[in-house]
Amino acid sequence: MTSRQHPAAVDEAEGRTPETLSGADIDYPVDVDRPHETAEDYSLTELLAVSAAHEIENGELAFIGVGMSLISGILAKHTRSPDCQLVTESGYVGSRPPGVVQSISDTVLGVDALFASNQFQIFTDNQRGLFDVGIIGAGQIDRYGNTNSTVVTGADGTYDHPKVRLPGSGGSNDIMTSCGRSVVMMRQDERAFTTDLDYRTAPGHLDGGDARERAGFRGDGPSAVITDMAIFRFDDDGEMVLSATHPGVGVDDVRAEVQWDLQVADDVSTTPEPTRGELAVLRAIDPTDTVLRGSDYIYEVGFEEWSERVMEQWKAFQDTQ
Amino acid sequence: MTPLDHGAVAGESFPDAAGVASGSPTGSRSRRDKTTDLETAIDRYVPDGASVAFGGMGGRDPEAAAREIVRQEKSGLTVLDDARTTLFDIMVGAGCVDRYVGSWVGTSLISQGHNVRNAVENDVPHHLEMRDVSNFGSSLMFLAGAMDVPFVPTRSMLETDIPEHNPDIEVVEDPLGSGDDLALVPAATPDVAVIHVQRADRLGNAQIWGNVVNDHLKARAADRVVVTCEEVVPTETIQRHPELTKIPFYAVDAVVEVPFGSHPWHCYGYYYADLPFYREYGQRSRDREDFLDWLDEWVVPHEEYLERIGAERLATLERMEAQLNDLPPVDGDAEEEEGSR
Repeated sequence: MTSRQHPAAVDEAEGRTPETLSGADIDYPVDVDRPHETAEDYSLTELLAVSAAHEIENGELAFIGVGMSLISGILAKHTRSPDCQLVTESGYVGSRPPGVVQSISDTVLGVDALFASNQFQIFTDNQRGLFDVGIIGAGQIDRYGNTNSTVVTGADGTYDHPKVRLPGSGGSNDIMTSCGRSVVMMRQDERAFTTDLDYRTAPGHLDGGDARERAGFRGDGPSAVITDMAIFRFDDDGEMVLSATHPGVGVDDVRAEVQWDLQVADDVSTTPEPTRGELAVLRAIDPTDTVLRGSDYIYEVGFEEWSERVMEQWKAFQDTQ
Repeated sequence: MTPLDHGAVAGESFPDAAGVASGSPTGSRSRRDKTTDLETAIDRYVPDGASVAFGGMGGRDPEAAAREIVRQEKSGLTVLDDARTTLFDIMVGAGCVDRYVGSWVGTSLISQGHNVRNAVENDVPHHLEMRDVSNFGSSLMFLAGAMDVPFVPTRSMLETDIPEHNPDIEVVEDPLGSGDDLALVPAATPDVAVIHVQRADRLGNAQIWGNVVNDHLKARAADRVVVTCEEVVPTETIQRHPELTKIPFYAVDAVVEVPFGSHPWHCYGYYYADLPFYREYGQRSRDREDFLDWLDEWVVPHEEYLERIGAERLATLERMEAQLNDLPPVDGDAEEEEGSR
């Protein structure tokens, strides 16, 4: 088995912590002109995925779920953080999937995996504090980063008869409780950034201050929230602070989609745009637009075409490994 | 719950059954031929009102077995589980399920669980009662069941609304004095676990490649276990790779050979997931009438189901998986020697 020698891989062989790659050190596994230059056109979804990938440092164990969080993890693994190890709740560790993941037991997760185990073991290791960063999704979030992915009760609804039944915790509760730090990916929406969660599915910084420490949580809780408009981080009290807005988005645009009086960093920046290389990798690993959804292609493509595109894509990536 | 029929299923008893002292000659611990057909296994082991756990998780799910449950119009089921996708949504829409205890419900990346939402939000076809746990909570409820203890403690779910709305979960201070709060997850002891695996022998030694999810725990927590598999193989094949046996014969009551038993999901080493198929399910389950048409079209005996999918399409799914992952090692196969490097 030959693998390309990334600078980080050499570091790891010598027992040093691999550094996250940047600029010309990134070896993109796709053919693209001027890969290190800023991309000209990209969607907000693509910016969201790239931004989340930037939260995973090289050499980290990254606990990721289905959809946007997994495509971000795969992107990180194929670009800046080739020595991060992806951890999935169904039991796989260390996969290098050649394409997007449809479900949490997708067999692409078997490719190059170091460990194929079970859900009990993965969450036991998570509770033990063995994983560095987790990425979750949520339907609602409050100012301390507590999230809801269970029910939207609405005005007259209850837990048993909600207005909207969401999928439930999945691994988000366990990750936010015990993983080293957590990143939340969600849509920016005034109803979602709420002062009053309908249901607390996963613990953020609880009521702020040292509440997590008092609760005995091993993990540090949410460190970032990434939306289609902005990136938020948390202050020492555990409250969300606007850290960066995406290109073309103003601070007031974000404020309008948050129910509480939002804290804004003094040096609020503009989210770094994807490089041409990152965008090419992202589009290459999702040739049928299953996750990125820049189009309705995945709802229209026929079986034959779908299977051919997916197999071609896998082969292209497998040839680079 | 009335005790399930412990009677032997079809097939002759295994030659050396007499050599095993423990277990009744017909119980799960016996070493007998447990092979049967899908209709018989579901009819016998999944009575109306049963609590059921299903194996897999968006991969290696027992989809064919669940469709058979729908085909036999089972009702009043409680599903004790982790994360469930299409098979659960189909059963809920068909009215088979009254109650769910688990961590996540949906259908896929490209569709919501429309029937689950319709049942919880609008009581169509009737109300579905939900009891949430986290993913670790779901593993631990089966661990407790498998250990035959009332609960297992965890740090998950503290300081959230999960214990608030799931009265079965208790939060207590560590009785041994650390001062830590712990959530006690009660044991799940389903009446039956239905689990799809790559291969098993006639005794029920079930081998799994790739990830196991919670299947090894579900099989031990349940009173009865139905294993469906891609292939029934000779016991000698199992013996060549005993490390792959995740569920041993003494936990298994019935073995059914069901090729493509996880379609439209993946079966590691055998076939890839059929996204266009479950995409169509997602679209047609949005509307009640369309969903009922879908049921008429697809809830049919498994052989007929596979015919409707078509041999060519199934072969493509096999080819896709072959590009990703090796087939399981086979007894005495030269490829295995080469593949073991």
